[in-house]
Amino acid sequence: MAPSAAVDDSPFASSPETTENHLQPFFVLHKACSRKAERVSTVPVKTRRRIDLCPSPPSAEKPEVESVTEDDEIGYMNLRTESFEIVWTKIESTIKDVLRNINANVFNEIHQWVCESFSTIRSFGELTFREATQAFPIVSHASSKQLFTGLVLTKNMEFVDDLLTFKELGRHLKSQGCHVANLSSLDFMAKSGIGGCLRSLLRQFLAAPLDAADISILASWYREQGNCDNPVVVIVDDIERCCGSVLSDFILMFSEWSLKVPVILIMGVTTTLDAPRNILPSNVLQCLCPYKFTLGTPTERMDAVIEAVLVKQCSGFSVSHKVALFMRNYFVRQDGTLTSFIRALKIACVQHFSMEPLSFILKGLFLEEDGQGLQEELLPQAIFKHAFDLPSYGRYKIEEQKFESFGHCLSELKRLQSQWSTVVLCLYEAGKGDQIRLLDLLCEALDPATYNCRISDRRTKVEKDPTGSSNDSWHQQYPLSRRDHFICQAIRKVRDLPGAQLYKLLKRWEELTVDIIEIHEKLKELKSLVKVENGRSSKQDMANSFKRHSSRSQLNIVKESKALNEKAATLIECMVGDYMQPVECLPLHEIVCFQNVEKLQLALIGDPRRRIQVDLLESYKILRCSCCSRSGHSLLPSMHDTSILYNLAQEHGDHINLHDWYQSFKSKVLSSRSKGKHKSKQSPLPKKRKDTNEPDKPCEASIQARFCRAATELQITGLIRMPTKRRPDYVQRVAFGL
Amino acid sequence: MAKEKEESVQISRRTTRSSATAYNNNGIESAKPNVSHTPTLDDLVFGQEPISLDDLLSSFPGRRVQILELLRLLGTINSSMPPLFIYGSASTGKTSIVLQIFRRLSRPFVYTSCLSCYSPRILFESILNQLLLHKKNAVNGYSSAKRCEKPSDFVNLLREALTNVIDSLKANLGKTSTTKLKGQVNGRMIYLIFDKFELVREWDKSSSILSFLFGLCDILKMAEVGVIFISNNSLDTYHSNTGYVEPIPVHFPEYTEDDLRQIFMRNQANRKLYSSFLDVVLRPFCRITRRVDELSTAFSMLFKKYCEPLNDLGVVPNEEMKRRLFSHLQPHVAPSLNERFRIASQPSLDCEVNQETRRKGSARKSGASGDLDEIDFHMSTSAKYLLISAFLASRNPATLDASLFDSTGGSDSRKRKRKASEKSIEQKEAAEQELLMKGPGTFSLERLLAIFQCITSVAEDLLGEEEEGNDKLGVELGSNTLMSDVLLQLTSLCNSNFIIKGGSCPLEGSTRYRSTVSEDLSLKVARSVKFPLSKYLYRR
Repeated sequence: MAPSAAVDDSPFASSPETTENHLQPFFVLHKACSRKAERVSTVPVKTRRRIDLCPSPPSAEKPEVESVTEDDEIGYMNLRTESFEIVWTKIESTIKDVLRNINANVFNEIHQWVCESFSTIRSFGELTFREATQAFPIVSHASSKQLFTGLVLTKNMEFVDDLLTFKELGRHLKSQGCHVANLSSLDFMAKSGIGGCLRSLLRQFLAAPLDAADISILASWYREQGNCDNPVVVIVDDIERCCGSVLSDFILMFSEWSLKVPVILIMGVTTTLDAPRNILPSNVLQCLCPYKFTLGTPTERMDAVIEAVLVKQCSGFSVSHKVALFMRNYFVRQDGTLTSFIRALKIACVQHFSMEPLSFILKGLFLEEDGQGLQEELLPQAIFKHAFDLPSYGRYKIEEQKFESFGHCLSELKRLQSQWSTVVLCLYEAGKGDQIRLLDLLCEALDPATYNCRISDRRTKVEKDPTGSSNDSWHQQYPLSRRDHFICQAIRKVRDLPGAQLYKLLKRWEELTVDIIEIHEKLKELKSLVKVENGRSSKQDMANSFKRHSSRSQLNIVKESKALNEKAATLIECMVGDYMQPVECLPLHEIVCFQNVEKLQLALIGDPRRRIQVDLLESYKILRCSCCSRSGHSLLPSMHDTSILYNLAQEHGDHINLHDWYQSFKSKVLSSRSKGKHKSKQSPLPKKRKDTNEPDKPCEASIQARFCRAATELQITGLIRMPTKRRPDYVQRVAFGL
Repeated sequence: MAKEKEESVQISRRTTRSSATAYNNNGIESAKPNVSHTPTLDDLVFGQEPISLDDLLSSFPGRRVQILELLRLLGTINSSMPPLFIYGSASTGKTSIVLQIFRRLSRPFVYTSCLSCYSPRILFESILNQLLLHKKNAVNGYSSAKRCEKPSDFVNLLREALTNVIDSLKANLGKTSTTKLKGQVNGRMIYLIFDKFELVREWDKSSSILSFLFGLCDILKMAEVGVIFISNNSLDTYHSNTGYVEPIPVHFPEYTEDDLRQIFMRNQANRKLYSSFLDVVLRPFCRITRRVDELSTAFSMLFKKYCEPLNDLGVVPNEEMKRRLFSHLQPHVAPSLNERFRIASQPSLDCEVNQETRRKGSARKSGASGDLDEIDFHMSTSAKYLLISAFLASRNPATLDASLFDSTGGSDSRKRKRKASEKSIEQKEAAEQELLMKGPGTFSLERLLAIFQCITSVAEDLLGEEEEGNDKLGVELGSNTLMSDVLLQLTSLCNSNFIIKGGSCPLEGSTRYRSTVSEDLSLKVARSVKFPLSKYLYRR
C-alpha cells in the first residue's frame, strides 16, 4: 500500500490487477480496490491477460471528476494504512493479554508442582560433586528413578495454538528461576535419534557449541556454580508427534541420571491421556510419575478472545452478521484453532481498511479517549460526500448533510454499540451455566433480520395489547424457534435460576450496565428485592427443616421467587429489545463494520482445486480470445488442448479409457481443423493462407504428442491419475464435482 | 532395578554425607566443585565405605549364589580374570550387585552404560575420560579429554591410558600396602564394565562394534584389565563371531515368589502388617510381573489403600482385622493389575474437586477415561467426519462400499446382514478371528475421500436442518467449506496418531492409510456429530 503502488491506480493498471486477484486464490493482501475503482468498473471491464483482441479501451470511461481527487486519495490511503496499523496493534495486544490471563492459573499451578517435585527429588538426598558426575548410577529406591512428568492436556487436536502457550510456559518458569528447555516434536525425530534431542537440549542450557552431545555434560553443568539450586525443566511440546522410540530413549536416559540431574518433564498432550500409553512402551511408562494439567479448551479461549475483541470492542472494529457466521463456521467445522480465527480477523481488518474510504475515522472514533478525535479540517467535502452516499446513511433519512449531524451520528453509533455489547455480555453472563457459547450468541445478536423481526413483532404486540404484559407471551410465541435460539435459551435460563444464583447474576449485571442508567437503576431495585427474598427464604429453609409440612409457606416462597425470576427475565428481554441493536442496523455502520464475506472467504479458503476445474472448463472466460469466447459450451479446436481434454473427461466415469479419450480428442482437434478451414474462408485473410494450412494438417504423431502433454498437465494439476500396471489402458479421475 | 538396594544405600548415603568431609578428600561441597576438586585414582573406586560380605548377601535376598559366583570369578586381589557376561531380565539386580561387589572389593573400575553413551564415540570418550580422570566443565568447554571415533584410535588411546593407570596403581600399592584406608584403591587390576550391552546391537546394525568390544580383552592383551558385560539377553542373542574368547556367562534368574517376599519385607516398619498385605497381593501380581520396580510402585499405592481403615500403623493385625482389611482392599487389586500408568492430577486440585476425582476413578476402573459420551478434546467437525470415514474404511471391506453408500443407504445393509447371520457360526468366528489378527485394514486416499464425501452429504441434511434457521448463507458455506481443507485435516489426524500412513501398496504405488481409532472413540465422535455410525458398520 505504498504511495507508489497507489499512483498506478489508474483503471489501466488496476484492471489486470483485479484479474490477477481472481486468478490467485491464495492472495491475502492486495492493494485496495477503492470505491472509485469499483465505480469505474460498474460496467464490467473486459480484463485481458494473455490474448488481447477485443478492442474496448476502458480508458475512455475514465471519469475526470474522480481523477481530481487523486492526490487526496493517496493521502487518505496513507491515513487508512496508519489507522489499520493502530487498530490491529490494539486488537493483537488485547488478544495476547486475554490469552495470557487465561493461562495464568494453569501456569502457576504448574510452577507450584515443579517446586514440590523438586523438593521431593532433593529429599532423596544431597549428592556430592563426585557422586553427581560419576558414570555409574546411584543405587537407591526405585521411586527415585521416576521422573516427575506433567502432562498438559491442550484439549485441541490441532496444535498450532499451543506452540505459543508452551513458549509462554517456558518463559514463565524461567522467570521463576527454573532452568528451562523447550523441545519440539521436531527434536524427537527418528532420523536424528537421541543425539538430536540431547544436542538441542544442551544447546539451550549451555548456550555453547558442543562437539558431542552427552548427558554427562548436563550433569557437570548442573553441578556448577549456583545451578543446582533450581530444577531443570524440559518441556516437550507435543508427544503425539514425537517418534516413540526416541522419546523413550530420552526418558530412560534421564531416569538413569535421575538424581544427578533432577529433570522435571512437561509434555503436551493434544488428544487423550491414552496418548503416552500408546506411544511409549511399558518399561518407559514405569519411569514416569505423571501428573495432569488442563489448559482451557479452545472454545473457552475463543469466547474470551471474542469477548475482548468483538463484543467489548477494544478497537471499535466490528464485523457483520454474515462475516461472524462465516468465522464461526470456519472455526467449528474447518479448523478449530484460534490461530486461524485471528488470521481471519486480521484479513477482515485489512480488507476493511483497504476497501472502506472512511475507515480511518475508526482510529479517531474509538481509540482516542476524548471521543472528539474527528477534526473537521480532515474531512473535506469529497470525503464527506462518501459518508452521505453510504446506504445506511441514506436509509435513515438524515436530512441535513452537515458535519454536525455527521458527528452526532458517529457518537450515536458509538453509544448504541456499547449498549449492544452490554446486553450481549449480560446474556452471556446469564447463559454461562448452560454452556452457551459467546460465539453463537454473537452471531445471533449481530443478525439484523432477527432484530427487525423482533422490533416489528413488539410493535404489533403493543398495538394489540397496550397494557404492557406482552413480554410474558413473547417467548411462548417462539417456543423453540431456530431464530433467537441462544438468546431465548439464555432468557429461559434466567427464569429457572435459583435465588442465590439469581442474586449473583443480578450483581454481575449491575456491574456490566453501569453505562445504561435506566437499566442500572432497575437492576438495583430488583437486586434489593432478591436480597430480601433470599434472606427470608434461607431462614424459611432452616425452619422447614424442622417442620417439614409447611407446604403452604413453601409454595408461597416458590411463587414469590418465581415472580422475581420472571421480573429479571422480563428485564433482560426488554434490554434485548431496546438496546441490542445490531451494528448493521445503525447509520454509518459501514465505517466500523466489515461486511464483505465473499472477499474474506476467498482470501481464507481459496479452494484451489475447484478453481482449477472451473478455469479448465471455462478457459475462454479467462483467455478471452476472440476465437473461442463466443462458442458457449461447445468445444472448439482453437481451445487449449488441456481444456479440451478435461472437458472430454467429464463424459467419462471414474475410469477413462485412454483409447476412447484419445479418439474423441483427435476427432475434436481434426473437426476443428475442418471448421477452422471453414472459418478461414469467411475470415478476411487472404486465400493463400488456406494453401499454407493444407500441408501442416496435424499428423497422428503431433496429435498424440499434444494429447500426452495435455494429459500430463492434468496429472500435474492433480485431476487425473496415470494408468496403473493393473489397468494399463485406463486413467483414473481423481477429482469429482466442483 | 534397584529396589533391593534400598536399605544398604540408605545407610550408606547417610554415612557418606557425614563422612564425606572426614576422609573423602574429593567430597567437596557442590557449590564450588571445580575449584578444589582434583581428581585422583580414588575416583575409580565406588567411593563409599566397603560393606561386609554378610551385609552384601543380606541386602540381596535370593541372590546368594550369584554373588558368591561373581566373587569367585573376580578372584583374589591382583588375579587376572576372563571376560564376564552377566545377563538376566530387567530388574533382577544385575547392575546393583556388580556395583556393590566393587564397593566391597574397593577395586578400581570404569562403568559405562550403553544407554547413556548412545554412540561408539561417546562410549569411547566416556571410558577415556574416566581413565584419564578428566571431568567436563565450563573451563574446558565440556569437551572430552581425547577425541576418538574409530575403534583403532580407541585401542591405542585406551592402552596408553590403562598403562598409566596401572602403573600408578602399582606405585600406589607399594605405598599403602601397610595401612589400608577405607574407600581407597585396592589392588592393581582395573575393570571395564559395560552396562545395558544389548543396546549396542542396534547401534549400527553391523556387528563390527559388537565383536570389537567382545574382543577388547584379546586385543589389549593386558592381564591387569578385566571386562564385564551386563545385558538383558543371553549370549546366544548376539551373533557371536569367532576370533575372541567367549565370555563366561553368569545368569541372574527371575526372582521366585519367596525371594520377592523377602525383598519387600526388608525394612518395613510394621512387618506383621506388611506381611499380611503381601499375603493378599503378592500371588496375583507375581503371575503378571516379577519385576521389582513394577511391583514396588504398584504395592506402595496398594499398601496405602490397605492401611486406609487403620488409625494406628503400628498395630499388629489379628485374623479378624486381616479379613476386614482384605475386604477393603479386594476391589482395588484387580484394576491395578491391569494398570500400567497411573496419572495423578495436581494435589491442590484434588482437594478442590475431590468429588470429581472419585468419579473419574470409577470411570478409569471401567476402562474408559473421561465422560462416556463426550470426547475430551476439541476437533473440528470436518476432522470428526474424516475420522469416522477413516474408521469405516478400515473396518468395512472395500467391496461393500457401494452397497452401504448408495442411495438407499443403511436399509439395504440390514437385509444383507440377515443373510450373513444365516451362515454357519464357525465361519463367522473364523472371520472374526481373522479380523482380530489382521487388525484394521488399509485404504487408499481416494476411498477415504469418497466415503468422506458420502457421509458428509448424509450429514449435510442434518446440519442443514440446524442451519436453516440461522441463515441460508450458513448452509452454503457449510457445504463448501466442509470439503476444502480435507487434506490438511488428514495430516493433522495422522499427526495425532489416529490414522497411520502406511507404506505404499506394491501394486499401485500409492500411499495406503490405516485407522487406529478404537471403536469406542469413533462411536463417541460419531455421537458428537449425530452421525449414525452403527448403521454403516459391517458386522459379520
